[in-house]
Amino acid sequence: MIAMIRSRTAPIALIAALAMIAVACGSSSSSSGSPSAAPKPGGVYRTALSSFGFTGGFDPTGEYLGLAFDFYGGLLRTLVTYRHVEGPAGNILVPDLATSVPQPTDGGLTYTFHLKPGIMFGPPLSRPITSGDIAYAFERIDSKPEVAQYAFYYDGVIRGMHQHPGPPTPISGIEAPDDQTLVFHLTRPTGDFLYRLAMPATAPIPREVARCFPTAGGYGRDVVSSGPYMIQGADHVDISSCGAIKPMSGFDPTKQLVLVRNPDYGESSDSRDDRSNFLNGISVIVDSNVSDIFNKVESGALDGSLADPPPATVAQHYLTDPSLRADFHADPGDRTWYLSMNLTTPPFDDIHVRKAVNDIIDKAALLRAWGGPTQGEIATHIMPPSVLEDQLTNSFDPYATPGEAGSLAKAQAEMKLSKYDSNHDGMCDASACKDLVMINRNYAPWTNMEPIVVDDLAKIGIRVLPRELETSAAYQTIQTVNNDIPIALNAGWGKDYADPFTFAQPLFSGASIIPTGNVNYSLVGLTSAEASRDGIMLPSGGVPSVDRQIDACEAMTVTPRLTCWINFDENVTTNVVPWVPYLWANNITVTAPSVTRFAYDQFSGYISFTQIAVNNQTSI
Amino acid sequence: MLRYIARRLLWVVFVVLVITLLTYLIFFVMPPTDPAVAFAGKQPTSADIAEVRRLFGLDKPVWAQYLLFLKHLFLGDGWGWPGLGFSFTTRSPVRSIIASRAFVTLQLSLGAALVWLSVGIPIGVLSALRPRSLRDRLAMAFALFGVSAPVFWLGLMCLWLFWFKLHWAAGSGYVSIGTSLGQWFSHLLMPWIVLALLFTAFYARMARGTLIETMGEDYIRTARAKGLPEWKVVVKHGLRSSLTPIVTMLGLDLGTLLGGAIITETVFNLQGLGLYSIQSVYRGDLPGVLAVTVLASLAIAVMNLIVDVVYAFLDPRVRFA
Repeated sequence: MIAMIRSRTAPIALIAALAMIAVACGSSSSSSGSPSAAPKPGGVYRTALSSFGFTGGFDPTGEYLGLAFDFYGGLLRTLVTYRHVEGPAGNILVPDLATSVPQPTDGGLTYTFHLKPGIMFGPPLSRPITSGDIAYAFERIDSKPEVAQYAFYYDGVIRGMHQHPGPPTPISGIEAPDDQTLVFHLTRPTGDFLYRLAMPATAPIPREVARCFPTAGGYGRDVVSSGPYMIQGADHVDISSCGAIKPMSGFDPTKQLVLVRNPDYGESSDSRDDRSNFLNGISVIVDSNVSDIFNKVESGALDGSLADPPPATVAQHYLTDPSLRADFHADPGDRTWYLSMNLTTPPFDDIHVRKAVNDIIDKAALLRAWGGPTQGEIATHIMPPSVLEDQLTNSFDPYATPGEAGSLAKAQAEMKLSKYDSNHDGMCDASACKDLVMINRNYAPWTNMEPIVVDDLAKIGIRVLPRELETSAAYQTIQTVNNDIPIALNAGWGKDYADPFTFAQPLFSGASIIPTGNVNYSLVGLTSAEASRDGIMLPSGGVPSVDRQIDACEAMTVTPRLTCWINFDENVTTNVVPWVPYLWANNITVTAPSVTRFAYDQFSGYISFTQIAVNNQTSI
Repeated sequence: MLRYIARRLLWVVFVVLVITLLTYLIFFVMPPTDPAVAFAGKQPTSADIAEVRRLFGLDKPVWAQYLLFLKHLFLGDGWGWPGLGFSFTTRSPVRSIIASRAFVTLQLSLGAALVWLSVGIPIGVLSALRPRSLRDRLAMAFALFGVSAPVFWLGLMCLWLFWFKLHWAAGSGYVSIGTSLGQWFSHLLMPWIVLALLFTAFYARMARGTLIETMGEDYIRTARAKGLPEWKVVVKHGLRSSLTPIVTMLGLDLGTLLGGAIITETVFNLQGLGLYSIQSVYRGDLPGVLAVTVLASLAIAVMNLIVDVVYAFLDPRVRFA
């Protein structure tokens, strides 16, 4: 077995070693070109991806894909937004449509916004945006047939929002006393409410166009711009009647998305620091051949990659060639990859087994299997440091082992405390430790990690049977509660916005457990009612719950809130132990020399279209 | 003849119906993923999943969904005739997606067929006329290479060498003929050749084998005894009857390719039916899967019919029954 692992991981280890050398010689990411030289406006960022993968047809009301949020950064404006840059600065809220970021009143229950004057919708409407257009966006979120995929951020939080079964209707908790003022009334103090108002679904939507698309996803082909860019062909859409509206020519979800400058963009109402808008346009084509995308970037036919990570050989090429190194950008993805354990399934219903698994896994080898340090940082707890404002970093490492390579002695010491180690020799010897199904993805790097995990677990007597599935099938398998999957290697989670609530609530709230589509894979906080509903056995001692802690943190604001979430992360990592977090992953972008200024949008996790610059002479 | 064609057309409809029924059953009995869960978002609620199920019509019994599909297929739906439904992933009518993609696949298939016929048959004929000669051995070595080289490898190598390194050829992607005739041709040339290579090898071997067999027939000896020139003996008497199995193969191959040349389209980024079908399968987009299945099965069935009709012209011994 060991020989097999060596042979499978040797090329990866070589690449990783080369990558480490390269990283040691250069920075891990950042801007291309001379920082002091102001980029010249113009040109088109030409890029490609293997598939858009939109989850809601690109309709802002329902769409829940980070890549779509990246495009919306140029297409849509919200009451508050981000600066569309990398690092902590990219997670700070700034006013966008609103004149300022307001403080809540009425004990945290009321937020009042005043809109900047003169901001317009782009073609085909070209009319001023009013507070009613923002209220209408919330009405769409509240309309069940629109299937707003993150409506839970607003349901039960804004008064009167509860998923109305029919078409959009006014919401009692949202008032628009005049065209420039908008007031939100909440049912409970919600510390991250302003972050929720920076989500693209809350951007103004014109009723006269969107009413023609009464069901989920339909409006995605005709999104009317409120930002610096619009979908090409928006100015040729006939909106005289619903029947006359045809899809904008610049967007075909299976082929391309082309954005051009919005002639009605209110540049004076925006901050150049938040959106520099150097580009004249953005051209994204679908290219099914990922290698071909990176060849095109290297040849200059494209200006950069977008969503596809570079194949290992391409990464190695860029990291080891000094002339290309500056074009390789690795930025924090605010995402944790983890090995998930099911708290209701033996032997993982025993915390000592879960801790022993944390002690034995060779995280350093897993990182090498991903391609080395450029791919990210070894995770030592649940949430990426950036989500916790860098106040809880990898210095908090309750399962530290030398070189993060795992420790057999430490793991066996923990296993001896387990009821599944009857003779206390440090090996899981019960029948429950044998032939456990482990779900995994069927492609690299997951397939590269698999032998490492299988072998590590075998060292403490846990024998797993990997089942490799396509991404969606793998997720759906572990999302179906009564499948009772004991352990899974396929899981990862990224933030929605830079607040720990977006990790804590979906992943660890007992109340959020549903029979299918469940993302609390470890079933933390599962109640006996939920267990009997979903047809599974609840362990005799029950499972730990952190629901109270989540509710308490959610209601807090500013400093006590952050401290609360740090305590939460420490508690889950050390006392609940649902996962083996192994990687806080980077997102990799490769650019061509034509990109004179590179920037990364920390909110969306992709290249920042409103901050980058190119020097090509391409026009659309 | 007309009665024969009408009867065969009815058979085509029956075959297509059976195939769509099987596709439906496979999709529901062995689903890789649940579309409702897949399209309800990253952290769905049970209500979201139920709403998506209702929206996609997945809340109805399977038989009701299938009958609705048939009704739309034959009578049309809100987006025209034939009604192919609304894509779960792109949230747009499948009919327009299929139309644009079928045109790309058609160009790829017909162009490749032209290449493999115009190269494969002459190679086969030349080999057959001088069996075991150097020319024959070289031709068969070429055929062996063509059969052995996988399209995905050959495509990637050709792109890397002729586009990326040598800059002799246009890169991947499709340019419509209306945009630029030159660009259209240069972007399709490499896919045509790569796709045709495998078939060229098969056709060359087939042409060689059948022609060698035909040239040993009595009527060929008679033709030669009558004093006909050799080219006339080969072309008029030998080739004509040896073409019959090749026409059969061509019909079946074209029919299969019209359903999508998945690997070639993926490697060369040609947004055709093959690429769409594989993407639809991966995403659990049932309307997309069904639309391609209908079109592919229709193409194969119709090409079979055409082959049978052409057969009778090529071989007078065949009569319509």
